[in-house]
Amino acid sequence: MTNKEKYNEAFCNAFEINEDQLNGLKYQGIKLWDSVGHMTLVANLEDAYDIMLETDDIIDFSSYEKGMEILTAKYNVQF
Amino acid sequence: MITGCNRGIGKVALEHFAAAGCHLIACARKETEEFSSYIGTITEKYKVSVLPLYFDFKNEEEIKTALYDVIKQKVPIDVLVNNAGVAVGGLLQMTSLQQMKDVFQVNFFSQVLITQIISKWMMRRKKGSIINMGSIAGLDNYAGYTAYGSSKAALMQFTKTIARELSPYNIRVNAIAPSLTATGMAEQMEEKAYDEMKNRSNLNRLAKPEEIVKTMLFLASDDSSFINGQIIRVDGGM
Repeated sequence: MTNKEKYNEAFCNAFEINEDQLNGLKYQGIKLWDSVGHMTLVANLEDAYDIMLETDDIIDFSSYEKGMEILTAKYNVQF
Repeated sequence: MITGCNRGIGKVALEHFAAAGCHLIACARKETEEFSSYIGTITEKYKVSVLPLYFDFKNEEEIKTALYDVIKQKVPIDVLVNNAGVAVGGLLQMTSLQQMKDVFQVNFFSQVLITQIISKWMMRRKKGSIINMGSIAGLDNYAGYTAYGSSKAALMQFTKTIARELSPYNIRVNAIAPSLTATGMAEQMEEKAYDEMKNRSNLNRLAKPEEIVKTMLFLASDDSSFINGQIIRVDGGM
């Protein structure tokens, strides 16, 4: 699976959505992306890439796009 | 994982947990010959592994580096005992704001940071028990305990809050609130304050470190499987 596929799968599994809903998706933009859902997403991403996200990055992870920026810049995940 | 292992309650905890068959991560501020030797004795006597971990509680980057290093090695952590702490006594007008900040840094903020990191590791494994070392100084009213008592009160409230947040992940969080315990920390107290603390207990003595540790072991084990978000006083009756 590519890194992008893993990323999308993490979102889709955490929020029970389809891939066509991902672009532009923001924290608290849908019901399931609340703070609890956010931690589920974080856990999914950490498992997918075998990383540990720092608290500041968890807080900054505000959208589907922002998340990719953070993972690339700080966790060496290339999309 | 037990913090503050090189003296006092933490040092006794290391031995008791090892005797119970636990493999351990023993955290201390710095490596000393005495501590290394003590770890060697524990390992030999109880046939468990003890991984020493050194970091300064006032240095957040050191804390993160040390803990992430352990997690990268995939070391499973079932129990976290946030035992490390410093004691500073003094009346309100004789305690500087900087002293209060220093006490809070060690007794509260560093424990929060450690818990943020380790609890996230526990969340992935969907189990854990976190035990925070509170104090009756954070529950009752004693003159001279602004800094220490307030920091422990913060830690105990933190205990209750995160017990709520972490329960869905099968992680229990409790705190122990000991009264004055026979350790080096107690020896630093002013005589009047020491006597007041000792005499308030119905048992009219200091707690023994092992009496606190046995409560830690209970909270760490499945024997306390339905105890969560609690502050357990170990004070001889006050």
